[in-house]
Order: sequence, then C-alpha cells, then structure tokens
Amino acid sequence: MLSWEFPPRIVGGIARHVDGLSRALSKVGVEVDVFTCDFPGADAEEQVDGVHVHRIDSYKFPAPDFASWNYMMNLNMQRAASEFIRGSNGQVDILHAHDWLSATAAMGMKHMLRLPLVATIHSTEYGRRNGLHTPYQRMIHDMEHWLAYEAWRVICCSEYMASHVSWALGLPREKVDVIPNGVDWKEYARPYDRKNFRRHFASPREKLVLFVGRLVHEKGASVLVEAIPKILSRVDAKFVIVGDGYMRDQLISRAQALHVEAKVYTTGFLDDESVKLLFRTADVCVVPSLYEPFGIVALEAMAAKAPLVVSDVGGLSEIIEHDKTGVKIYANSPDSLAWAVTRVLTDTRYADTLRNGSYEQVQQVYDWNTIASTTKTVYERVLEESRSGNWKILTRT
Amino acid sequence: MRLAILTWEYPPRVIGEIAHYASSLASELTKRDLSVRVVAFDDWATGVRDEARGVKVFRIDNPVKSHISILTWALTLTIEFERIVSDLYYARDGGLDLIDAQEWMTVPASVSIKRALQIPFIFTVHSLEDHRSWGSSDPLSQAIKNLEWLGFYEAERIIAKSAWMKDEVVRIYRVPPEKIDIINPASSNWTNRVVAVYSGVGAKEA
Repeated sequence: MLSWEFPPRIVGGIARHVDGLSRALSKVGVEVDVFTCDFPGADAEEQVDGVHVHRIDSYKFPAPDFASWNYMMNLNMQRAASEFIRGSNGQVDILHAHDWLSATAAMGMKHMLRLPLVATIHSTEYGRRNGLHTPYQRMIHDMEHWLAYEAWRVICCSEYMASHVSWALGLPREKVDVIPNGVDWKEYARPYDRKNFRRHFASPREKLVLFVGRLVHEKGASVLVEAIPKILSRVDAKFVIVGDGYMRDQLISRAQALHVEAKVYTTGFLDDESVKLLFRTADVCVVPSLYEPFGIVALEAMAAKAPLVVSDVGGLSEIIEHDKTGVKIYANSPDSLAWAVTRVLTDTRYADTLRNGSYEQVQQVYDWNTIASTTKTVYERVLEESRSGNWKILTRT
Repeated sequence: MRLAILTWEYPPRVIGEIAHYASSLASELTKRDLSVRVVAFDDWATGVRDEARGVKVFRIDNPVKSHISILTWALTLTIEFERIVSDLYYARDGGLDLIDAQEWMTVPASVSIKRALQIPFIFTVHSLEDHRSWGSSDPLSQAIKNLEWLGFYEAERIIAKSAWMKDEVVRIYRVPPEKIDIINPASSNWTNRVVAVYSGVGAKEA
C-alpha cells in the first residue's frame, strides 16, 4: 500500500482512508504493508492493528516545486519498497497506490517486480482546479491518466467520481470499481457529558445547527448563512460553523449584514475530539456543498446520529436517501435549506427516524469491514486475471 | 554479457555528444559479440528497431506531455526506462547483466533497477550540473546534483572521458578516485577499455 500520508502524518483525507482501510483489510485476512513518508516522532517501522507501517525518508533537500519534491520522494519510496518486496521472497502479491502522489513509485515497481497494480483515485487535478489551466496542472493530469492506465483496476469512492474519472482520464467505465469511503462509527459511541459540552456552543433553549467543512466556495457555507434569517423566524437556533478558509471573513460580514451575527459561532479549526462530540451534540448537521466527490462529513454525522440535511450533489446524493437517512435539498438554494432545517428542528419524530435510519446505514454500508471485504474481492479478481496471463514474458521484440 | 545502454539521446535524435558516443559504443560492442540493447528517449521514432550492425534500439516516449522542468521530465520518463529494462530482464530470449547509464537523467531508473532487479550499473558521465548551471544554488540544480551524487554513489564504476572530469567528480561529489575510470573516446582502443570496465563488474545473476 503506497500512500504519501498516513497517521500521524495527516494532510488531507487520504491518510485516514488508508489507515481505516489497512486496518480493516488486516482483519479480513489481507496482510498489508504500508509505505509512507516519515514524520517527526513517528517510528520508521511500526505495527498498527496488524498493519506493518514503513516510513521512508521523504526527500528533504530543496525542490523547485511540489511535484518535483513528490517525484524525488517517490524514488526513495520505490527503493525501500522494492527492497522489502525482494526480501519477502514472493510473499507480496499486489500493489495499491493512492492518487498520483505515489504513482511514479507504484508504476515502476509494477514493471520491475511484475506485480499487478490497483489504484484508488480520490480526486483529480481536473476536479480540484476546475479545469486544467497551467503546464503544472496538465502534468499532474497526465500522471493521473498514466496511473489509471497502468492500474489493473481503478477504485473510486462514488458513482459520481467513477463517472468523472472515466471522462477526465479517458477510462472505460468498466475498469472502475466503486467502493465508498468508510468511517469508524464505533468512535462516536463513547460516553460524554453532553450538557456541559453543549453549553460551550449553544444555550439550552437554542437548537444547535452544525456545519463542518473548509470555508471555501464549493463547500457552500454561504448558502447556510443566507438561510439563517428564515430559519430563525421559525426556530431559535445557534449556527456553529467549524472549519477555516478564505471565505471566513466574507461569511462573518454577511451574517452581520443580515443582523444574525449573534447567532453564528465560527469556531475556526477544532481538534478531532471536539468535532466528534459536536457531531453528537448537534440537533442537525448541514452539508450544503456545491461540489462534493464524496462527503465524508456526512458519514461522520451519520455515525454520530446527527440528522442530516445535504445538497443533492455528487457523492452526497448517493450516500443519503431522502426522508430515510437524511433530507436532500436543492444545491445553492437558501430557501430549500431553510425549509429542510426548520422541518428537522421542529419535527422531532421525523428527526429521530432520520437519525436511526442513517445510523443503520452507516453500520452496514460504510463500515470499514464491509469496505475491506469489497476491496479484497477486487484484489482477488486482479490476481486471478493477472496470473492467467503471459505477463512474465515479454513478447514484443 | 548482456548489456543495456540507457540514454536520453540516440541518433537520429542528436542533442549533444552522447548520441554519437552511445551509437559508436553500441556498434563496437556488437562487433565484440556482446549482446547490446539501447534504450533511448525519442518521441518521434518511438518503438523497437533492429539497427545497423546488430544493435537493437528501444525508443521510448514520455506519456506525460506537459512539464515544468527537465527534472520532472526525467523523473517521469524514468518509469518507461524501468518498464523496458524490466521487459528485457524478464524476456525469454535472455536477461540482463549490466546497464551503462548515460548522464544523470538515467540515474533514477538505474538505481531503481539495481534495487529491484539487482542489475548493477556503470555511470558514464559526460557533464556535471555545476558546469551546466555554473554557480547555481537554486532548487532545480540542487535536485539534479542530488541525482548525480546518487548515480556516483550507487554505480559500480564510473566512466569519465578526461582526467579533468574525473577530478571534478572527486572535487564536487567526494567520490573515491579509485571508483572512476578515465576513458577518452578519441583514443584508439577505447571500446576495449570500456569492455574491461564492464568485465570488472562481472555478470551478477539475479
């Protein structure tokens, strides 16, 4: 398993995904060796829940740009992993790379060690940049394309992503397996002092409306702010906005212009534990994204039994079933959002149905065990197909 | 002995002097009954070709078409070098005993192949970053120098074309002088001396 980040080195969502996946794979009988970058204080070799973690010397000399640094780091990763695989005497069966960030190492190893490669595409440069506008972005896009080409199977987290990846990277749709992201739902069940914790965020007679996400355009926090006056005309509520980003000041000034700033609490970046507890304390969790390949935030809310109101976009559309596990609203519509939030806050029986429905769903579909089993069948398919071929021998001379 | 020469230029793609060096070397070696395959970058004549005097040339392209520096170009092309050399290694009609890597662009692939397939390499140095980008301390040059150092460190032997070049390698990269052979391709028996270097490394079985 090649990943540029792994806890405690957490940059984006890949670290937690690889962590959850590896541990769960280990429990379903897949032996996993993770090769990842070193991190201050973390051991070079470690065993975590049955997963062998190897932290390599990530290139520490000056590099002209991020991609160049990444390719240099990949050289180190490839050497360390190749030596390990050689030393294991044929015990390693398959390679799994995550995004273009470990592609150069993975593809080289595939050919040199003759091991089939599976690649998970978590996001694309095209999606991240909303198009390709510079040679740098096109270069990364070309790497993603190459990785998807060299991989035997490509894994994406939602139908939406699979469609996008097929289009952006020119892949046949049949090459892509959709396996959702997971969540450690058991982490949200530990006892805590709800009343005391809640007091830090809202008064007892206020309902607590929660938003967790980066304060950037595509996460839609501005839609929530627009909806606040309408919601307040029906229900007394506090709007807790967790996260940071370039839109923060804009959101606060808009709240002031709407005269609702007293009801809005922007916490900035919060630690993991507090965020988990907030999910559990909230009366409703809002995910008003304008663009969302998956929406792990929704899984966290489901695991914490917070009723969900989500935009009907991207991965969110696939995760939530309207009226059963959450409420789907029109994207970019403050009216739609206001209606949904008001309903959930005033109709407690409805809210409870959603809570229970989503909790059941998260345990069945988004449980890491389920996801690992599905991933294992992908590996098995790849092994069966690759072993029945002539790959070990070059023909075209 | 089965040899692969890795190079970023080979006729008809001629950028500097490496193309001619590699092609003379390849044809001379073939006369001495060594199995020689050349793996060279060429985005126009991409493919496999049996060339003059029994030299087999594999020309590779870089699937990554956009680049921001020669460094990103080299580090991504590396994968294609690795692929073709691996194919040679696994091929039914023979394997591979040794690589002769021309310049720093082929170092990443050579080092990876050494670690993964235990095929040793010779590093033939034609120029150094400190000479190409004189006095530069910018990160691009630093990264390239890092790769040059890596090549000198991981190579079994180093071939320099002049005493001056050998001295520069020792001065800049602190390479033990005993590791470097001076072979001037203008001298009469230069190919024999290259073969002697190759034989000194010996054929390592995988």
